Amino acid sequence: MFPEWMKGAPTPFSSVLVANRGEIAVRVITAVKEAGLRAIAVYSDPDSNALHVEMADDAVHLPGNSLTENYLNSEAIILAAKSSGAQAIHPGYGFLSERADFARDVANAGIIWVGPSPEAIETMGDKISARSRMIESGVPVIPGDEIAIPEGSDHMGALASVAARVGYPLLLKASAGGGGKGMRVVHEPKMLRTEYEAAAREASAAFGDGTVYVERLLTGARHIEIQVLADKHGNCIHLNERDCSLQRRHQKVIEEAPSTAVSNDLRKSMGESAVLAAMAVDYVGAGTVELLLSPNGQYYFLEMNTRLQVEHPVTEMITGVDLVQKQLEIASGMTLGISQNSVGINGHSIEARIYAEDAKRGFLPSIGTLGVWIPPSGPGIRLDSGVRQGDQVTVDFDPMLAKLIVHAPDRKSAIRRMDSALSSFVALGVTTNIGFLRNALLHPSFTSGSITTDFLDSTSINEFDPEYTDPRLIVSIAASAKRLGLDKLANIHSNSDIDDHSGHSGDPFKTLSRRFP
Amino acid sequence: MDWEIADLEDKFSVDLTEREGKVTISSVSVNGITDECPEIRISRVGKNPTIILETESGSRPAYVMKIDGKWWIHLKGEVYVVNEVEKGGKSSESTGGLSAPMPGIILEVMVKEGQRVREGQPLMTMEAMKMEHRIMAPKSGEVISLNYNKGDRVDMGATLVELGD
Repeated sequence: MFPEWMKGAPTPFSSVLVANRGEIAVRVITAVKEAGLRAIAVYSDPDSNALHVEMADDAVHLPGNSLTENYLNSEAIILAAKSSGAQAIHPGYGFLSERADFARDVANAGIIWVGPSPEAIETMGDKISARSRMIESGVPVIPGDEIAIPEGSDHMGALASVAARVGYPLLLKASAGGGGKGMRVVHEPKMLRTEYEAAAREASAAFGDGTVYVERLLTGARHIEIQVLADKHGNCIHLNERDCSLQRRHQKVIEEAPSTAVSNDLRKSMGESAVLAAMAVDYVGAGTVELLLSPNGQYYFLEMNTRLQVEHPVTEMITGVDLVQKQLEIASGMTLGISQNSVGINGHSIEARIYAEDAKRGFLPSIGTLGVWIPPSGPGIRLDSGVRQGDQVTVDFDPMLAKLIVHAPDRKSAIRRMDSALSSFVALGVTTNIGFLRNALLHPSFTSGSITTDFLDSTSINEFDPEYTDPRLIVSIAASAKRLGLDKLANIHSNSDIDDHSGHSGDPFKTLSRRFP
Repeated sequence: MDWEIADLEDKFSVDLTEREGKVTISSVSVNGITDECPEIRISRVGKNPTIILETESGSRPAYVMKIDGKWWIHLKGEVYVVNEVEKGGKSSESTGGLSAPMPGIILEVMVKEGQRVREGQPLMTMEAMKMEHRIMAPKSGEVISLNYNKGDRVDMGATLVELGD
């Protein structure tokens, strides 16, 4: 049965397979269930106890030990959709979300694809074709010279001459890259080979494509991105900007909306460019046009992400639009139902990405047991989490645990709310970046709203040291806790060997019997 | 039992008394030296991983749990990791050896045994969680041994390189 809201939709569906894991799978599954649709999860062996599996109505096991065998295996996922009777597939972000072939295979299998057309993914996914399409459509692009360097060809000579023309510092980017993977800054010619090889390796490991290209590095710029929504009937609107300038090695750390650097006029202009960019590829669904805003007020097209974005919640908070619900409506062939004029800005929203990483040790990913996980709650606080108390954090996947999002009437109160939420966030057993996020949030450069994309990479980590606490207090707490028997509180083991007892390994619902206090 | 806080070199020992679920700290010595100690009382809250810490400046809650053999503490928005060490025992942090920060694969070895390296010089690159990490020399010295080759899979904590003076 189709839900009430889908009545009259040209291509209705009643079930959605979510081809992802972690917090985004949880986010999408929640929306799918709320929409009155059946949510189907997929999972690999290390995820058999994962939160997204517990939340779904049904779950399909994906065999294999590597990502290419399971979450990146389009055949296995389409098979899972067929066997579970899924009528639509939502790819989340990452994994197969920007694989045009996958979108095509899904459609060919008679399953509804929650996303844009394969052609749009293809054009925008290749940074070189995207760039030329933008030039044709009158969307401004980043200055500099670019060249495609196919993997395996005699690249160093060609690369060096293009690099010299573009000028240093420059950015090496994997054409199929994203999320900071396969992207390297080169400050001087002698580092060109080393960084190129690292970028190519990272890109081929993460995306199965080693093509890298060269671009001028703009300094002192802000990363501003525009959320767009387009339906299958030619309607396209934008939902204002997000400012994601607080980045570390091109990985976003804290995002907010609206941006302190964007005036109403600039917002209108950037929004129109973003809609133009989306229309240039007949875009359908939710997408993001990333722009670089230079200090002189000029902005340039960076790339378009043809999927839901990690930081989509800040847009949802200030516009009141549920982007995942809209994706489902659009996939069913319904019209947008929102006009550009009705999109407003209500207050201010900030998102902080909670990572299992050690800021004091070069942000190395950390692992362990989440023995205590008590997220903050209260008015204007939202947590999109992929984990729960008792979960193991392993090296199998991306180290992002959750996203903490706050919404408040203005930026100052949003910062206070985020600070208070971060400081009451209790996560023990795995080193997280929560303390680092707090210090970055309260840094004068952030509170004054003047962060540029090179801020974190050019600011000494010592500026982020926490306030002093008498270490004698700390050891007193540990010694007292031991005397008071807190070490016998819960049986936290480093390995979950519950399967041996339950006797039904592979059953996703065994997780229900395994909850730490 | 002595105590160590992660990232601090000091060794602490704590004298305490317990009465009816309330601990009073009598003294804390730092590296064998006992200084005047602030008044500290600690009590447990129900069956939760929570304690109440009372000092002269008032009382506040903290979260404490022993997880995978270490004490994890959340106090005033900061997290501390405390290790128990045998009284008079050796520090749990080894010196001279560079250990793998996480499990992963060695991508490249940039130095040879017997080579002198300067502080901050890259020694190896490894891949973990799909990102590349450079293992840098924490001090200048001579490479005494290289324990892994390119392509090897290493566990967390495995000693990758031993550095001498």
